[in-house]
Amino acid sequence: MERAGIPTALLCNLVSLAEKVGAPRIVPTRGIPYPAGDPSLSHDDEKEWRRALVKRALHAVSTPVTSPTIFPVEQEASA
Amino acid sequence: MTRVVHYVNQFFAGLGGEDQAGIAPSLKEGAVGPGRRLAQLLGDDAEIVATVYCGDDYAASVEGAAAQILALVMSYEPDVLIAGPAFGSGRYGLACARLGAAADAAGLPVVVAMHEDNPGLDEAGTIPVVASGATSREMRASLDRLGAAARKVIAGDALTSDDGRIGRAARATTVAETTAAERAVDLVLTRLAGDRDATEIPLPRFDRVMPAQPIEDPATATVALVTEGAVVPNGNPDGLESARATRWLRYPIDEVASLASGDYVSVHGGFSTSWANEDPCRILPLDVARELEQEGAIGKLHAAYLVTAGNGTSVANARRFGIEWAAELRKAGVQAAVLTST
Amino acid sequence: MSSAARIPAPEKLRRPKTKGAVSSRDDSTRSLKRFVHQVRDVAVGDETAFDRGVLTVGRAASTLFESPALAGVRLTWASPGDPVRIVKLLDAVEPRCKEGGGIFPGFVGPPEQQGVGTTHVLSGAAVVTAGFLPRAQEAVVDMAGPAQPLSFLGATHNLVVEFTPAADADWEDVDAALRVGALKLAEHLAAAATSAPPDAAEELAGLGAPGSSELPRVAAVTNLQTQGKFKDVFVYGTSFSAEPPRLIDPNELEDGAVVSGQYGHPALKNPTYVHQNHPIAAALRRRHGRDLHFAGLVICPEPVDQTGKERASADVAALCRDAGFDAVIITKEGGGNADADVSLKMDALEQMGISAIGLFAEMAGADGSAPPLVIAPANATAMVSTGNYDHRVELPAVERALGGEDFSLLDVPATAELSVPVAVVYGSLSPLGIGRLTCREAA
Repeated sequence: MERAGIPTALLCNLVSLAEKVGAPRIVPTRGIPYPAGDPSLSHDDEKEWRRALVKRALHAVSTPVTSPTIFPVEQEASA
Repeated sequence: MTRVVHYVNQFFAGLGGEDQAGIAPSLKEGAVGPGRRLAQLLGDDAEIVATVYCGDDYAASVEGAAAQILALVMSYEPDVLIAGPAFGSGRYGLACARLGAAADAAGLPVVVAMHEDNPGLDEAGTIPVVASGATSREMRASLDRLGAAARKVIAGDALTSDDGRIGRAARATTVAETTAAERAVDLVLTRLAGDRDATEIPLPRFDRVMPAQPIEDPATATVALVTEGAVVPNGNPDGLESARATRWLRYPIDEVASLASGDYVSVHGGFSTSWANEDPCRILPLDVARELEQEGAIGKLHAAYLVTAGNGTSVANARRFGIEWAAELRKAGVQAAVLTST
Repeated sequence: MSSAARIPAPEKLRRPKTKGAVSSRDDSTRSLKRFVHQVRDVAVGDETAFDRGVLTVGRAASTLFESPALAGVRLTWASPGDPVRIVKLLDAVEPRCKEGGGIFPGFVGPPEQQGVGTTHVLSGAAVVTAGFLPRAQEAVVDMAGPAQPLSFLGATHNLVVEFTPAADADWEDVDAALRVGALKLAEHLAAAATSAPPDAAEELAGLGAPGSSELPRVAAVTNLQTQGKFKDVFVYGTSFSAEPPRLIDPNELEDGAVVSGQYGHPALKNPTYVHQNHPIAAALRRRHGRDLHFAGLVICPEPVDQTGKERASADVAALCRDAGFDAVIITKEGGGNADADVSLKMDALEQMGISAIGLFAEMAGADGSAPPLVIAPANATAMVSTGNYDHRVELPAVERALGGEDFSLLDVPATAELSVPVAVVYGSLSPLGIGRLTCREAA
């Protein structure tokens, strides 16, 4: 999709693999079965985490990159 | 008597399926599960003294997991470590590769088995890996090959592609029959004759991805949510495959604020879907995306989401899906995408 | 557009019709007569002479090195099988001369285009300069023992030139004096053979000679390391560092148009001897008219910056396209940095539909498990391996050494037992492909 000109944020857990295959915009997640979640949190906190992930994804697709780049969510989900 | 330790994942150790994917490394004495047949194949002079196992999620995601597993392996003073067959399971393959590499670095002979498309193969470095089938339906043949390879490793013999060896092998310096210049001319003629893969130096090839230009501002952009987490309407009306998907699907979300539990499920066969089924937004973050759209942080959410199952998907199919998704999204004027991966 | 998609005819590969303009050089009378004299034994005597395979160097030959920059030189033979080691090797030159003069243009002969007429070659011998120069990397050749086959110099009778610089001489002047002296000595030795009946007489067709239009046009691209003092390569007597890539007649190399002043990287350098005996040109010539049409040779500097490298690659690709080449074999000089020059060219050419083969040495670590290439092509895939830089070799102690008293890399006497990576053996990983070392997947 990137090749076709659609910047794509990849939310995934196996970050080193994503780098290896050349995904340019990588947002690390907390678990394989729940890329946009974290069941260890309360419902509200989990939604905050999800929101932070998506916001980081939006930041990633608005950022120029030249090679696989990791965009982690900051500890305080304000990014 | 050659002492062998066998590594398998939680499933083949008989502990359970995806629900046990998070368990920490542990072991059982003797051969377990597929190890029993493996033990027979190894013959009378070798014995599987212990089977070490670990949950796939733990092995693939926890820092230092390989070292922990190796410690358990070493506690039984093995002469050889056998890991797998991991078939096409990415996390299991990764676990085997990392464990194998750690064992090799510690001087323990090792042989691993996995399918040649297993994404974990790349982390195996130059340790011996033999090809297995893609799924446990091919257990018998896979064990035959692994057993034969293990016997060679026990005997101190090297494995070649005749043994089903895959992955990267170390480079050995030798003296060729002809000069490099003559071989270069041979190679040019071979290439001109149509063999575009011939080379003396194979390199791991991943397609180089040229990153797309970023969007200016998400607040003015149309963004699509896409996933390989196999989230589909309850009942899987269009029959998305749980593994080795040959297709992808699209579902409208134009008036939909969130993917409610019960309305949507994940049919992905590669991980435990219970969390996803409790809240499908854990796979496709529609709820927060819709809020961000309403707040103006996203210009517009695309009217549908695209989905496939990224479980043992062949590289060729995955590539094709990506191309088709790109075409569909471009045609619809979508400018950016958020892709969730499991 | 590439011919690679076509199935070849049974006997010959057919040249595709879609290629661009052929070279405009149309001088089909250009050819070189090469008379080869085999050196079977060597000696030192009163006069330089060549008689029935025995090459004698006269004691006065050292006067060819007379220069304000040199206090003196010592000439010693080191022959295959002798219990002798040569260290601090600098350049190696094959004795050659031309009837009517002109050999080594720009240094010995005037800087005029060569590659025609008659050239005499003393095969099986080499003039080898050896000793300390700044930036020169420690190198070794053993004339006997396990390391002997690793260098092409292990198979030649080598007239080793050791030197003492003059008291206040500039090192560059020392280098220049050695170079000219060695080339003059090479000519002087060959001149002794001109009246002897040759062991082989060959006619090498020149560039532009008509060939079958059915055969694929294959050329060589030779990258020259041009990194300034003591790491430079000369073409017709001038440093090639600022020059654009150039299409030449391969026969010009026979007459020493390219001379090496490059003393780094012992295993990965192309001494003058190897340019004179350009292995790719020789291999292409052997198949010329049968499997391919040897269409030419491009020389190109190796710029030290990325922009320069990219421009050189684009220029070479354009040159190859305009010359109508179907395929190109690319070689380098140097280590990982030089890989970039080959890789960029391979990608640029393949993108144009011109098949590209590159020769690389691997840097796979002592156990062969590290990633083989420092800078690999992004998309092109056809590579020849000239061996593993890091492969270790054990050299036993020897009776005597030429070129220096010490082996500076290990800080031991030059005659001592040595454990070194093959990267230190002169010519062992020959980027021009004169050697037979290679890497295969460990079985």
